[in-house]
Amino acid sequence: MEATAFLPIGMGLIVIGAGIGIGKFAAAAAESIARQPEAADKITGAVNLPLFLLEGVAILAEVFTFLMLIL
Amino acid sequence: MISGGEQAHGSSVMDQVGDNIIHHVSNSDIHHPIVHLPHLFGIDMSVTKHVMMLWVVAVLVSVVVIIPIRRFLRKGSGVPTGMINAIESIVKFIRDSIVKPNVGSKWVMMWTPLLLTFFFFILFANAIGMIPIFDVLGLSDRFLFHTNPESFLNRLLHGGVTATGNFNVTAGLATITFFSIMVAGTLAHGFINHWKNLAPKGLAWPVYIILIPIELMGLLVKPFALTMRLAANMTGGHIALLALLSLMAIFGEMFHSTAAGVGVAFISVPMAAAISGLEIIVVLVQAYVFTLLTSVFIGMAINVDH
Repeated sequence: MEATAFLPIGMGLIVIGAGIGIGKFAAAAAESIARQPEAADKITGAVNLPLFLLEGVAILAEVFTFLMLIL
Repeated sequence: MISGGEQAHGSSVMDQVGDNIIHHVSNSDIHHPIVHLPHLFGIDMSVTKHVMMLWVVAVLVSVVVIIPIRRFLRKGSGVPTGMINAIESIVKFIRDSIVKPNVGSKWVMMWTPLLLTFFFFILFANAIGMIPIFDVLGLSDRFLFHTNPESFLNRLLHGGVTATGNFNVTAGLATITFFSIMVAGTLAHGFINHWKNLAPKGLAWPVYIILIPIELMGLLVKPFALTMRLAANMTGGHIALLALLSLMAIFGEMFHSTAAGVGVAFISVPMAAAISGLEIIVVLVQAYVFTLLTSVFIGMAINVDH
């Protein structure tokens, strides 16, 4: 069996990891906005940056998997 | 799908689909450029699809953003009308809620122009990829004009439309970020102090053995991540879109019936439309993210308080 056969599994793991991470972010942000609606802008601002950094890691992993698949 | 030029003879639909998708998101072939130009310094200067799209974006940004603003400024203090209202709200948003909190009020007027340039350029380059003008051209070419494969129109159809989906374009943008981080730190703290600021002060010396290589690596990882994020996001959305539409061809081939393909169309076309809607959000968000992260990195070089 070729090693590339396992790459879709890797992609799935990436999606699971990123999904859990982003889900936790969204849940925490929604909860804190519900507790303190007046701080919604600040909370959104604080959540944005780590969210995009996390997304960047997931995208990097996807790109590397894709490159391994085609190279 | 239509403009996917050459039919690979003898291979099944399954094999063609992958090539077709890659053909639609990657740059056109350098050996069949849109405009032939001579070699300069050993580099082939021929204009490929993505280069042409960069020019289109440049013209579009000038027409939509730069010229109205110039005209408004020349008019003196007037009430903003029409286009200026929209531009002003975007400019104000970027200055007040992206640049100012990150860079600080002292340097905000210096770095806002660069970040606005980034934002408008990436926004237009992303958004132009969502307009299927070349697919319409390809459709009319295939059924109405019947031009030969070497005609200008046919060469125009090869390759993807989203210039920011090309890693070279985003790498160029991230290189500007890389150098602007250096310039920001140097202007704020002086050349020597900027490099000293990379690692926090007052730690035990063994920590620095690990910390300094990590910080130096982080210097390169930041623009690299920016490159990958933008290009992969733009490419990924288009691949998902085309993969959903390809399901029609794949199912039609698998069950050897047109009915199966048409049946799948009732599911895949609405889903592709939904993903197109998602893509419009991604187009906006990625332009925002690139601007935000660039301003965060510039701010990290200016306000050093680890």
